[in-house]
Amino acid sequence: MQPALELKGVSKAFGDTRAVDDLNLVVPRGALYGVIGPSGAGKTTAIRMIMSILFPDSGTLSVLGRASALDAKDRIGYLPEERGVYRKMRVGAFCSYMGQLKGVAAKQASARASRLLERLDLAGAETQKCEDLSKGMLQRVQVVAAIINEPDLLILDEPFSGLDPVSVRLLKNLVAEEHRRGATILFSTHIMAHAEELCQHIVMLHKGHKVLDEPMAGLRHRYDPRTVRLEPLDPSSDLALLRGTPGVERVDITAHGCEIRLIAGTDPAAAIRQVAAAVAPARIELARVRLEDVFIRLVTGGAAEGDEALRADLQGLGSERI
Amino acid sequence: MKKIGLIAIREFVTTVGSKGFLFGLLIMPLLFVMVMLGAPRIMNARSPQIRGDVAVIDQTTRVTAELRMALDPETFAARRRANAQRALRASMPGAAQAVASNQTLQAAVGQLPALQLVERPASANVQHEKEWLGRNTNGEHHLALVVMHPDAVVRAGAGTEYGSYDLYVSPTLDNATENVLNEALAQALTTARLRASQLDVAQIEATMRVAKPASVIVAADGEQQAQRGFDRALPFLLGVLLFIGVMIGGQTLMTSTIEEKSSRVVDVLLAAVSPFELMAGKLLGQLGVGLLVMAIYVGLGLIALFQFAMLGLLNPMLVVYLLIFFLITYVIFGATMMAIGAAVNQVADAQSLMGPVMLLLVAPYILAPMIARAPNSTFAVVLSFIPPVNAFVMLSRLASGTPPPAWQVLLTMLLGLLAAGAAVWFAGKVFKIGLLMHGKPPNVATLVRWARAA
Repeated sequence: MQPALELKGVSKAFGDTRAVDDLNLVVPRGALYGVIGPSGAGKTTAIRMIMSILFPDSGTLSVLGRASALDAKDRIGYLPEERGVYRKMRVGAFCSYMGQLKGVAAKQASARASRLLERLDLAGAETQKCEDLSKGMLQRVQVVAAIINEPDLLILDEPFSGLDPVSVRLLKNLVAEEHRRGATILFSTHIMAHAEELCQHIVMLHKGHKVLDEPMAGLRHRYDPRTVRLEPLDPSSDLALLRGTPGVERVDITAHGCEIRLIAGTDPAAAIRQVAAAVAPARIELARVRLEDVFIRLVTGGAAEGDEALRADLQGLGSERI
Repeated sequence: MKKIGLIAIREFVTTVGSKGFLFGLLIMPLLFVMVMLGAPRIMNARSPQIRGDVAVIDQTTRVTAELRMALDPETFAARRRANAQRALRASMPGAAQAVASNQTLQAAVGQLPALQLVERPASANVQHEKEWLGRNTNGEHHLALVVMHPDAVVRAGAGTEYGSYDLYVSPTLDNATENVLNEALAQALTTARLRASQLDVAQIEATMRVAKPASVIVAADGEQQAQRGFDRALPFLLGVLLFIGVMIGGQTLMTSTIEEKSSRVVDVLLAAVSPFELMAGKLLGQLGVGLLVMAIYVGLGLIALFQFAMLGLLNPMLVVYLLIFFLITYVIFGATMMAIGAAVNQVADAQSLMGPVMLLLVAPYILAPMIARAPNSTFAVVLSFIPPVNAFVMLSRLASGTPPPAWQVLLTMLLGLLAAGAAVWFAGKVFKIGLLMHGKPPNVATLVRWARAA
């Protein structure tokens, strides 16, 4: 079967800035892809080209088997980064109108609008004017407008930006539901934690270049940090003793316990058993790979610390775009 | 096609359903009526009654009596009424004249001056009398001093000119009063001279009067009373209708595009429809609004014509031409204004780009008198081939008493259609790029660059 999305050597420049440079990407049908990268990495430009809102300077695209998204607009759901509504329109009418523009019959569109609005906790807002809604509610309305045509391909550009935690949770559930329904989903975010939680596959962009394109599982395996975190039950335990445990390379003492670095090739399960036998743990865990660390390692060439501003951006601190 | 229809319907319903539309629909004709009714009233506003003394040193001894007659309020009223009647007959068709005449005549007569004549002996000292002008005591107004020349009524010798009079006025005398005075003096002198020559005044006045008839147009399909007033107003009215229709649609297209762009709703829309579909839908929706407005106004106009039994004066083809030229002009201006809306981020930024567009829309009104006077002059013919003003010009010419030949009408339509096509092409390009451009508002050169790049 043809992939849902295929980009070959796609480039786009704005003046002297190369927003996207020679991007190759294949998204198979039914996949859940996350495009991540800090602000200005080229995520939105790439998505706008996929949507045929912008056109690449070079390279070719195929969307749902068509040469342009224009030929498949009715089968695509798109939530742009910059979202707007007709302020004077009523919420239900707006969602239904967007559905009709995407080829859904009028009756069906309004029935789906009601159902989805209810699903996103907006049942009472259907007859209200868009301008009377709070910002968080409006963002959920826009999500409804994006998926009202039950799309085969759902593209979400920074879907979680500016949302309150409750809305984030509702939206994550909805994305998972759409995925279960069979939709191919591609979303972009500069907050790595969201991608970690949702995605099966990660594409990382940095300054217009693709720096990573790998399944999440493989990533966890490849970037296995070989680190075990331990919080001892008895704070006065002598953690230095652990240095003698087989498979342990190094022990770093931290505020609440220690981080134990394992020798490459050591079986983490066996190592954890032995560590727990030596010091009774209040908590012991194998540190999971964090996309943020992977990204920083990739773009800084392995330097452990990386750029602090970049790290803050990837954690969604300070630079959260509303 | 279905998407274009959906966008058009939404655009139409939103516009027609807004309070602003209803307000605009009423306010435009209301303003028009106010200007039509108010302007002449303000311009003719009666100045306060002229009241005061006029001293006369009559060295001929024959003028004073005539002047007293000429300054009599009754004489004034009769003279003004006659002037007004003449003007009215020339400018208004029969039925309307009957309605308007009484009131208008009454208004034309207005406030009559009350000038008190103060006779001075023929031997009075002019220098001394001049000083009297400056003395306005006890609420008396000393307005003017008239000194008749001795030969003002009887010539000094055969073949020489008549003498006249000297007029000294107080600094407070206004222009209107001076005119009234001069008018009365001229009448008094003429009468005195005629009497001195022993001629019959009434006889001579009758000889000088030639009544002007209302001309009768003889056409293939019969004769018709020429209604110059109506003929002259019609091109202007059609032009105003065209202007209103285009402005209502064009203005809304611009503001709604700016709103969609600044509220970022375009990003969502463009995921569902192409820029061209969006543009076509909006253009079509506002066309519906423009047509509705025109239908209302034309309908009201027809009812008014019917009321005054003047429906026969209107050539029904003119309504058809109005529709055709409205469509052409609307597409040209509508597309252009939508492109402007797409190019800028807020209404304020649109002003500089709107300047040339407004100039083109208003230009026909500046040129209208020239076209009305000579509808088939080279100037008018050339203008009717230059889009986008050609529709206005051709419509004025069609509505005039001497319509242009058919080939010129067809050529105007053809050129208009070409211009409309070009406007849509240009607007489409600017629209496509402009909608997603945020930041510094572009100038005309940038717009041209976008059109070439898209």
